[in-house]
Amino acid sequence: MISEPNASTTQAGQATLPTRRAPVPIWLIILLFLLLYWGMVYFDQRSGWFDERVYFPYHSYSQLEQWQPATGAPNMVQQGRAVYNKPTCVACHQADGNGLPGQNPPLAGSEWVNEKAPGRVIRIALNGLSGPITVKGLPFNGAMVPWKDVLSDEEIAAVLTYVRQNKEWGNNAPEVTPEQVKAVRAKIKDRSTPFSPDELKQIPPTD
Amino acid sequence: MNLGPLIFLAAFFGLAWSWFGMVLTPQIQIGRLQQTNTVPAGATYPVGRPGLARQGLAVYRANGCAYCHSQQVVQTGTVCDVVLTDAGTNHAGLLVALRKLRPALSEAEDEQLMTGLPKTIRERLTKDEADPMVKTLTSAGAKATTWIVPVGPDIARGWGTRRTVAEDFLFDYPVMPGSQRVGPDLANVGLRLPDAKWQLRHLYAPRSEVKGSTMPPYRFLFEKRRIEHTRSSDALSLPSDLAPEAGFEILPKPEAVALVAYLASLRADAPLFVAPLSVAEPVTTSTNNAATNQTTAASSGATNAPAK
Amino acid sequence: MTPPSIQPASDASAPVLRTATVSEIDISCRLPLMVLFTSAAKWLVIGWVFELIASIKFHDPNFLADYSWLTYGRVHPAFSNSIIYGFCLQAGFGVVLWLLAQTGGVALAHRWLVTVGAIFWNLGVTVGVIGILAGDSTGFEYLEMPGYAAVLMLIGYLLIGLLGVVTFHQRRERQLTVSHWFFFTALFWFPWIYSTANLLLVTFPVRGMTQAVIAWWYSQNLLVVWLALVGLGTVFYLVPRLAGRELTGRYTAIFIYWVLILFAGWGGIPNSASVPAWLPTLSTVSTVLSLLAFIAVPLNVCETLGCSLAPARRNYPLSFFVFGVIAFCISGFARAGCALLDPNQIANFTWLNPAISQLSVYGFFAMVMFGAIYIILPRLLGVGLPWPKLVRVQLWLSGLGIILVVLPLAIGGVIQEVQLGDARRPFIEIMRSSLMSLRMSTVGDLLLLVAHVLFLANVAGLVIGFYRARAVVTYEELTEDLFKAARAKA
Repeated sequence: MISEPNASTTQAGQATLPTRRAPVPIWLIILLFLLLYWGMVYFDQRSGWFDERVYFPYHSYSQLEQWQPATGAPNMVQQGRAVYNKPTCVACHQADGNGLPGQNPPLAGSEWVNEKAPGRVIRIALNGLSGPITVKGLPFNGAMVPWKDVLSDEEIAAVLTYVRQNKEWGNNAPEVTPEQVKAVRAKIKDRSTPFSPDELKQIPPTD
Repeated sequence: MNLGPLIFLAAFFGLAWSWFGMVLTPQIQIGRLQQTNTVPAGATYPVGRPGLARQGLAVYRANGCAYCHSQQVVQTGTVCDVVLTDAGTNHAGLLVALRKLRPALSEAEDEQLMTGLPKTIRERLTKDEADPMVKTLTSAGAKATTWIVPVGPDIARGWGTRRTVAEDFLFDYPVMPGSQRVGPDLANVGLRLPDAKWQLRHLYAPRSEVKGSTMPPYRFLFEKRRIEHTRSSDALSLPSDLAPEAGFEILPKPEAVALVAYLASLRADAPLFVAPLSVAEPVTTSTNNAATNQTTAASSGATNAPAK
Repeated sequence: MTPPSIQPASDASAPVLRTATVSEIDISCRLPLMVLFTSAAKWLVIGWVFELIASIKFHDPNFLADYSWLTYGRVHPAFSNSIIYGFCLQAGFGVVLWLLAQTGGVALAHRWLVTVGAIFWNLGVTVGVIGILAGDSTGFEYLEMPGYAAVLMLIGYLLIGLLGVVTFHQRRERQLTVSHWFFFTALFWFPWIYSTANLLLVTFPVRGMTQAVIAWWYSQNLLVVWLALVGLGTVFYLVPRLAGRELTGRYTAIFIYWVLILFAGWGGIPNSASVPAWLPTLSTVSTVLSLLAFIAVPLNVCETLGCSLAPARRNYPLSFFVFGVIAFCISGFARAGCALLDPNQIANFTWLNPAISQLSVYGFFAMVMFGAIYIILPRLLGVGLPWPKLVRVQLWLSGLGIILVVLPLAIGGVIQEVQLGDARRPFIEIMRSSLMSLRMSTVGDLLLLVAHVLFLANVAGLVIGFYRARAVVTYEELTEDLFKAARAKA
């Protein structure tokens, strides 16, 4: 039982009044719940629900998406750059396309990227890659996640075009069209596992 | 009942609760932020400040500039403008479309609108109002865009073109957002007052550049030197009542030069996904050079707002 | 002034496990609290000299402008750090230690170590303030002391805090007061926030805007939560005793405690911050929820005093407490108002921000500490105040001074907020229109400086009086035999 210390410690030395154990006033409790309710409503309206991309005055990610400036005439390279940096590809292959040594192969100057026909790169983008691969003479043995369920044909075509036509990275290969991606997707629609580099070497890029 | 441990647990829980929400979660969210890309050009942002500017940041910190100057641009809303970028070939159809959007104008004025593009047709609309208008114009064979314009008192005052976001301070240590506006906001001072000589004169004698300013003079960041043979090119050119006596000149110390370099590097106008903003397309194509990345950001940052 | 009656220590043959007598507790607290309280008073005066210099610079920017050590950007953080770490925290430590010993019925554990801790703390603050003036400020508001000073202060605090916990643990009176909740939590709260802030901002800095978030979290937890914990603990213990009544709202006080530690710690992120929207939103919700505490405290105190100011009329320490509680209430509402009623999101850049923080740090906490020190120190040392009338003068000067500082700044801040929202108004006009408020607050600062000099005089006089009386007694004791022999001969 909690109670005050004995009267000898009282400053004035006077006898203290009898103990009254007043409970917390009920209106204070009611006010607590009212303020909690208000707080939840306020938070719901203005917080963007912990989304780290939502800054005031935007209230939600979807609102933020709506307010993005239009890119004007659809430009595959620009669209592709946006997809690349979503951060779909940039997280592993890095902003300069050089990847991470020993872990993620580079896209800049890569012979896999620069093949004239895009069949292999489309397959990599759709289903991912796993197994040892040599890029620009360096060995890598990681795994790339598949993107066929996350990106649409247009997005895959755009990002592959961006990567293949990125002069800063030293790439110079023909663009990729959404129709090409669609065709490859149809061909491999029954396959759910990532490709391995050896398998890809068997498939002609024009397929 | 031994309440000691209970109180300790209560204190622990209360503190852990606020630590979790205000230290750990922001560290996970913002503390692991990487460079992002401008929208839509895709240039990397931010690029780190050059070395001299970084030293200037240390001078800014040591002299407590953040107690009078903030570096946060506030945005209270976003509006749309409808901008005509290309008149196309169907002038008659375009005219009809323009009359629909601007019924109050005469035909001559509408003809005017079709020249000297890009031109703003309508201003300060919501997205839902602006998009159909853009459709009306594009269906008449012209090219038009919805121009995204952040608004707010700071922006109207010219202190920035959009709000500042966490990415703007990604590489700074320490981050000093500032707590008072005794002096103007400095988030975009590199765009507003890029002249290094002006900044140096203002540091040496604020009232010589801004009448009625209460900013203290930072004369200790400068030194007075005897003129050797000719005046140094770095010497400040001050009005006669502040200039030193004949035969002497005022030169900035390295701290002053660094501070001014830091101020010149302050800009937060790149259009980002988290702070959307329409900017004019850069004239030159971007190159991969880190130095010119800044130039790209500069030219894309020069919001050549279309003529009204 | 009667010489102190230094009672001999209790009978050594008595069993060890017994409650210490009141005089034993006071004796044990004497040395460390003397160091803590006199250093606190000294830092208060030093800090306010800095503030006066900073204040004058607004009216005459050329004032001391040629000295890099005295530029506004260095003198201002020197002021705030001197007041917070030099005065507020030290006075708070002293009151907490005394109360833990007092209510536990046990002497303060290892008082020499506590004194060493206090000396380390003071050394840290001195080194820190000199470091700030020399340009080594960390750049984070309220955490400007450089890392090397923070280490000293942390060592000092560990000694003080640990021994406070040991004293608590050794208590004989097992029943706890409401204030124990507040004080024990405060002892634990400070090292966590201080070490986290220093680690994540100075030693291993986090990236980008996270630094600012953690700095805001730290300053909120220090200035709002910690000062409230210690200040309210003091109020809830001493006010009932001064009024001769019991604290009526015991459970309300516990409720206030929970509101503080659950809600108040999430505040501090301003609306204008360059961080995702959820952070300032949570801070605003927290300031509003904390209003429960700001409503409940004055009501609780009011009830305890019997809903009248009569007890406070003659009792100056009680008047300090009442003033502090009123200031506490106003500062809480003002903070919530700033966060909510801010259409342009820039209230924290106006003079409202320093006005509210001055009101809560000085108007609430410092006033409560004044009252507490005026009660505790004379009682510890067994001497009366050398100039008791000056207590009343100090009360009036402090009260008037803080009102003169806060009110004009608050009004100037509101005007500034309105004017900043009008983009057509040139900035220089806005800045000059707040000069009138600054003039009045400089006058307030002057009054406060005088008040603090009086406070320091009283405290120093108390300590000197104690040593003088002790010297008299020691001299009498030493010479007693000599006189006896002389009288016997005569």
